[in-house]
Amino acid sequence: MSPAPRWLHPLVAGGAVLAILLLGASLGMLVQLPGRGPAQPGAASVDVGFSQDMSVHHRQAVLMAGLARERSSDPVIRSLAFDIERTQLEQVGRMQGWLSLWNAAPLPTGRYMTWMTDAAPMPGMAHGSDPGASDPGAAGVTTMPGMASQADLDRLGAASGKAFDVLFLQLMLRHHQGGLPMASYAATHAETAQVRNLAQKIVVSQTSEGEYLTQLLAQRGARPLPPPT
Amino acid sequence: MPSGKSSKAVRNARSVVAATKPKPWGTVAAVLAVLVFAVGIFGYLYLRYDERRTFTPTAENKDPSAQIEGVVTEDYSHRRGHVSATQRVAYDHFPPFGGPHDATWAACNGVVYDKPVRNENMVHPLEHGAVWITYNPDHVTGDALQALKDRVEGQGYLMLSPYPGLDTPISLQSWGHQLKLSDAKDKRIDQFIQSLRLNEYTYPEVGASCDVLPSAFDPANPPPFVAAPPGPGAVPLDYSSQSGSGPMSGAVPPAAPAPGGAPPPAGGQPAPGAPPAGQ
Repeated sequence: MSPAPRWLHPLVAGGAVLAILLLGASLGMLVQLPGRGPAQPGAASVDVGFSQDMSVHHRQAVLMAGLARERSSDPVIRSLAFDIERTQLEQVGRMQGWLSLWNAAPLPTGRYMTWMTDAAPMPGMAHGSDPGASDPGAAGVTTMPGMASQADLDRLGAASGKAFDVLFLQLMLRHHQGGLPMASYAATHAETAQVRNLAQKIVVSQTSEGEYLTQLLAQRGARPLPPPT
Repeated sequence: MPSGKSSKAVRNARSVVAATKPKPWGTVAAVLAVLVFAVGIFGYLYLRYDERRTFTPTAENKDPSAQIEGVVTEDYSHRRGHVSATQRVAYDHFPPFGGPHDATWAACNGVVYDKPVRNENMVHPLEHGAVWITYNPDHVTGDALQALKDRVEGQGYLMLSPYPGLDTPISLQSWGHQLKLSDAKDKRIDQFIQSLRLNEYTYPEVGASCDVLPSAFDPANPPPFVAAPPGPGAVPLDYSSQSGSGPMSGAVPPAAPAPGGAPPPAGGQPAPGAPPAGQ
């Protein structure tokens, strides 16, 4: 047996140092690996309140859009209605899925918008809103802004032809505008990144779709309803 | 373990006594074992860690396509007006990947279009989260074309169409993102799709559909691609549905060069076969 060669010691020492470095790096990655998701939002959170209330708000848009997709004779209106119906129903599915994962109720009980606790100045609110009228505070409201009343829905159900198209556009525009304060509040106040993102996407796309609805109304010689209060 | 350590120490001491030149094979084996163990742990964790950095969008990594070489981006978030079936849009890229578009979207639920389709209809599905794959029909044929078709057919939020005059064999589009490629086997195709298809952080209309109303759009007979430049009456990129009184009035704002300092698209769509100047 020959004696250990001269280069063996540095090699062993190097190997030991490398092993220590690798284990250190592994430890570093291990610290970062576990999903660092935020704690589950509670029943009083913005995340839960927004998901519940916007589910209700969206479902009325889905209802009206489904009616227009079936009833309108104008392909532009039918296509728009189909788009709104599909998109908002898909978004309701997202929000209902979150609520299920959070062990939260799928729908709110009692008043709406109670989760908008510091909503005094509402950035992104449609201009022309008069302060106080739609300021829910923590007390909440019984009807969310932009929601069509039963009488509105009855009128829509009874209308036909161009009158139907115009009324649909008017109700949908007001509905879109009414959802903005809730969405913009959640876009900044929700604790979950995905909720903030969806709320922000709702703000942006309903704003630009609102412009399109306004344009379609103008083409039909009609005006928007007064902004929601 | 103290007992192991001490027995090793004893052995080492004995070997020192037994031979003038120590043969530290025990130490070598121990270090080697630890090293193998460390490499194993590190390798396993690195792979898992690396997975997180791959191409699935997350709240922490909203746009994984930033890691893909060659992706061109534009911010079209406020250039999303709707135009009518007879209008043209002065797009700034070819194929376009954002900007005003037809109110009617092309079906994007895994549809393979055999003929080129009108730009204004194909941009709209990008707003809905789809990835649009285009190819130059003069350069992509046979097996390469079949590979693209296999990749798209029946897949959600994907569509494929030929694009005459395309300056590279293949180009991928999602809202605000484009990647031009030369090979149907390029691994960046999958990376692009994984990064951007239905990426809730990068497309505007989260939840929107790829299905179409049958009365609005027929995938078997879509509006055809128009090769001619859009001309001076085209809708500019910054057109919004609010500006002017809409398509019906004919009072369309005059065409303007693309905002944002981009070079003006010389006449819009390049003539087939003529590659556009610049990237």
